[in-house]
Amino acid sequence: MRLMLTATNLTFRVGNKALVSDVSLSFAPGKLHLIIGPNGAGKSTLIKILARLLRPQVGMVSYDDVDVSQASETELAKRRAVLSQAVEVAFPLSAREVVMMGRYPHFGGRPGPADEKIVDDVMAQFDVTEFTDRNYQTLSGGERQRVNFARVLAQLWRDSTSDLNSSGRYLFLDEPLTFLDIRHQIEFMNTIKEMAAQPDVVTVGVVHDLNLAARFADHIVILNQARLVASGTPPDVLTEERIQEIFGVKPTFVGSEESGMHIIFS
Amino acid sequence: MTKQHGNRRLLLVVLAFVTLLVLAASIRYGAIDFPLSEISRAFASILPGHSEPTLDQRIFLELRLPRAILCLLVGASLGVGGTLMQALFRNPIVEPGLVGTSSGAAFGSALFFVLGSVLHISTSVWSLPFAACFGGVVSTYLVFLLARSKEQGRASIVMLLLTGLAVNALFMSAIGFLSYIARDPQARSITFWSLGTLSGANWKAVTIVTTSTIIGTLIALYYSKQLNALMIGEEEATYLGVNVNRLKWIILTVNVVIVAVATAFTGVISFVGLVVPHILRMVGGADNRFLIVGSALTGATLLTLADLMARLVVRPAELPIGILTSAVGVPIFILLLRRRQYVF
Amino acid sequence: MKKILTLSFLAIALCLGSCSRFHNAPTDAKDARYVVISPIYNEIIWALGAQDQVVGIDLSTTYPPEAKKVQTVGYHRALSAEGILSLHPTAVLHDNNIGPPQVVQQLQQLNIPMKSFSAKNDSFDGTKALIREMGAYFHKEARAEELCNTLDNQRAASLEKVKQYTDHPRVAVIHFGRASNVYLVVGKGSGGDGGGVSKMIELAGGEMAVTSDRMQRMESPEIIAQANPQVILLTDFGYDRLGSLDQIKTLPGVATSEAAKNNHIYRIEENVLNYFGPRSGENIAKVAEVIHQK
Repeated sequence: MRLMLTATNLTFRVGNKALVSDVSLSFAPGKLHLIIGPNGAGKSTLIKILARLLRPQVGMVSYDDVDVSQASETELAKRRAVLSQAVEVAFPLSAREVVMMGRYPHFGGRPGPADEKIVDDVMAQFDVTEFTDRNYQTLSGGERQRVNFARVLAQLWRDSTSDLNSSGRYLFLDEPLTFLDIRHQIEFMNTIKEMAAQPDVVTVGVVHDLNLAARFADHIVILNQARLVASGTPPDVLTEERIQEIFGVKPTFVGSEESGMHIIFS
Repeated sequence: MTKQHGNRRLLLVVLAFVTLLVLAASIRYGAIDFPLSEISRAFASILPGHSEPTLDQRIFLELRLPRAILCLLVGASLGVGGTLMQALFRNPIVEPGLVGTSSGAAFGSALFFVLGSVLHISTSVWSLPFAACFGGVVSTYLVFLLARSKEQGRASIVMLLLTGLAVNALFMSAIGFLSYIARDPQARSITFWSLGTLSGANWKAVTIVTTSTIIGTLIALYYSKQLNALMIGEEEATYLGVNVNRLKWIILTVNVVIVAVATAFTGVISFVGLVVPHILRMVGGADNRFLIVGSALTGATLLTLADLMARLVVRPAELPIGILTSAVGVPIFILLLRRRQYVF
Repeated sequence: MKKILTLSFLAIALCLGSCSRFHNAPTDAKDARYVVISPIYNEIIWALGAQDQVVGIDLSTTYPPEAKKVQTVGYHRALSAEGILSLHPTAVLHDNNIGPPQVVQQLQQLNIPMKSFSAKNDSFDGTKALIREMGAYFHKEARAEELCNTLDNQRAASLEKVKQYTDHPRVAVIHFGRASNVYLVVGKGSGGDGGGVSKMIELAGGEMAVTSDRMQRMESPEIIAQANPQVILLTDFGYDRLGSLDQIKTLPGVATSEAAKNNHIYRIEENVLNYFGPRSGENIAKVAEVIHQK
């Protein structure tokens, strides 16, 4: 089975306006794919279509070569997770309760010991174990995102004994770094990169920061005004002309041995 | 999390115990006090071979006992209704009364009173509850449909509350209009109906309300995990595998039915659905499984206490129970408003 | 808002207005024990001297003052079956104006005898018929006859007195409906609580300014304004509730009326004006005195 996320001729309209117009793409596993573009380009909409939150009027999305529009919610939730920009919780919930929700697709009534263990592990991984009993509403933006990332990872958790080994896992990131400080932004991107490198995971994200995209992405997609403008590796895609044309700023490229290419804008 | 789990379990057990205590008090005290001996004689009289029950025993079996039980059930319905409403709209300041259910049910009953006398509709004891149910369903769905057009994120709560406000005003003035065109006796019935009372309790009412309450609560419990997921947002819940639209319709229907059926037999009783989930959340957290069971028990207890007071304070007369629940509920409501910053 | 007002009003009305009345011990009775839920029935029972058998009365019964010492079972449309039954009545007497319907059903279901008298106090003749019917029921026939005679004599005397007044003022009567918590204008047709009003006014030498069939809410100032009464009467509860002439003039349409301009706005007891009863004979003169004031 070819493990891939494919989008074919996607068009999504609201009223008369097309937010995404005739976009076709494919995303391979084991790589980090990032979508960038100016405001209103349709990036968030595209991610939501790929994650099957929204249904396109035209076109099709396939996971593992299978049209995803027919899949059941619960079945899909076991292998597809989304890390959003921010998550508001209306009532006082402990951080652990929030993370445990990531396991909801995997158990019926009550969580089992396996679920509890997974939650312990992911919370440790994101360093949020200290917030176990803390009210999520009282956490800072960065702390919340770590909790949410733990939740998302718990949702997609797979170990060698899991019977889901045959199908792929799909991780979507919808501008997850917005409320993070610079240190956490880089930490997150490192973790995301690790996750993305796994052979059975397809990782697609939306970011605003071109530098982060340039530094971390294996594959960059540029959207502008609902259309696909470019798709390829960072050096191929992030050319001076293109950046100027699409983002309206003049870039200067600065190389660094440690951390690769950086872009300075004027 | 087992520690919090254990605490919740203990809390529910204590609540159940308190509910039973309050039920016992409710059965025993009132305009007529029934000592234990009288109660056991009353029960004995229904066994074959015993003499016919005396008037007092009949009062106990036909008036007091069904009233006490109905009170438990109605309190449970209102409590669960409040929890479901708050879970559904992810906001602690909603209750069935605010989204039109109660006023619609009252309107249904008002219409029944006015039309019933004009058209000489057969006044079986079930006509009234069904009319109220019908009204409650219409008004709630009206609110939900009208508020549905802007379904994005937080804005929908504002739409819902404002639409609920408008629909409530609509139905209350419709009731006013009905009481205006009605002959005096009818008009007075309507007013008293909308203040709430348990005095109409009988065993048929108990049967119906038991059915709706138990079935409704069981369905709600079945969906409690999905309601939990809803707490982190509709989008997130969808990503977790919840069919949000379907969940909303199911929970809304359950909520409307259990509250309208209860309102059909007791009139509009406010604030129980608002206050009960709040109290529980403060002591046991926001997990819906715990909240649904807890609010059933707490609602039952609080309403029974209110009814007991309503029957004792000015005995042998009675206060309408809505006065008591409002007297307690309104200050708590204001306190809650001031203590917290609500995100609208 | 309206509901809150209704709620708080009723709470206050029930508690303040009659707190002490709820804790009276029930009257000792011999054979019969009656719960009587009707102001006119109670007035007649006291007038007949049969009050020893009354163990419970309704909240609206305010005459005679001694009646208030009897245990009350609450407002006549918000009764409680248990409350009534806790007094162990042998029968419940009412004038078909009780509720809620469920409670009536419960009393019937428990085979409690419920009785209404067939005569109605909607006129002098009706009142006499009622007095006689109740006299027969309570075995006080002689006393009943006395009351009827007194009624006739006093009526004759009053009508004589009324002849001395040469004017026929237009009178508007405003009554406060406690259940609906609104002020009502009594019409010529006098439905509902205003049963005897228009007849009393006319016998007293006045003319009903408002000619509607039934009582109306004072929602539009036109009701009073078009009628332009020369005299306005408010029944006791409604008058006391507003407290002063200035307050009363804020009711819709009142301020511009002739009555307001001349300050011909008066208080009158409900049990004097609104329905016919044993004292209606002398009440005609009382009403006449009030409305013909200068």
